Amino acid sequence: MEGDKRGFRVAVCADALVNPGPGGLDALAVCERTGFGVMQLPATWYPEDVAAGWLEQVAEQLDEYLRRGYAVVLLTDAADAAGPAQRTALAAALATIGHELPPEHASDGDEPALEAFLRAQPVPSAAA
Amino acid sequence: MTESTPPGVAFVAHCLLNQNSKTDGGARCPGIYSPLVDVLRERGWRIEQMPCPEHGFLGLHRFWLVKEQADTLAFRRHCRRQAVVVAGAIAAHLERGHEVVVIGLEGSPSMGMRITSSNDEWGGRPDAGDSYRLVPGRGIFSEELEAELAERGLTDVRTTGIEHQLPGHDPAVERVQLGSFLEESARGR
Repeated sequence: MEGDKRGFRVAVCADALVNPGPGGLDALAVCERTGFGVMQLPATWYPEDVAAGWLEQVAEQLDEYLRRGYAVVLLTDAADAAGPAQRTALAAALATIGHELPPEHASDGDEPALEAFLRAQPVPSAAA
Repeated sequence: MTESTPPGVAFVAHCLLNQNSKTDGGARCPGIYSPLVDVLRERGWRIEQMPCPEHGFLGLHRFWLVKEQADTLAFRRHCRRQAVVVAGAIAAHLERGHEVVVIGLEGSPSMGMRITSSNDEWGGRPDAGDSYRLVPGRGIFSEELEAELAERGLTDVRTTGIEHQLPGHDPAVERVQLGSFLEESARGR
């Protein structure tokens, strides 16, 4: 991949971390400086059919990253009451194509903790 | 979702948050294309990431494409399936009174908004180099999204495209143009 600058690292990221409220943790900034690209999960208030279709497409795209040796992690928002249900739905979407949930960090807004989690991930085999 | 109403919601091309989805050779940074995110953040806009049609259909080992190669019934159906989800999310925001814009990727055979790539002779052995043309028009996904929105009566969603794939791209100029686009869109609420 001459000239290509990809990081081979993908963070599946809760909407609340992509679009934080005032003073909230800016997960995109952390992902950027740790070399992770982001796949955004749907807002938890979306209509059920929209959320289901969105998660199905996330799972399909993750399949390709997982099969090709990219690092994949899941970043969730510990404060989102609807988060566990979405996590379950994502797990189900992944299970239908033979994958488990990737390593997860449930963020409580602690930026150093998020950054430490991302930096602790092993070097992806695709980057070797 | 945050409780405060944002000035607007930007549905952005997938690769602008995830350069890993790019065709080999196309990733400009490890993950997030920060100039776009910075402009959106500075103005308080929500970000919504659209799926990558090419990654989903052809995977990471795909060759570069021009629009003519992607313009098949199967790829259009794939794009439409993705567009239905995006249009549903757009509709949900519009129902909440949010201003919505779509930000694609100029020059892309799938995500171009005003400019796409073309060469009706590409095909066969993949040694065509850079012999494609940039031509006015939308990419395949953008066309399908436009059609899906039209079917729902949502015809006034403003669109633009990031131009970092185009020759002569100037990031500073793009920031100004994008900022103006967002301000004009927010005033349209």
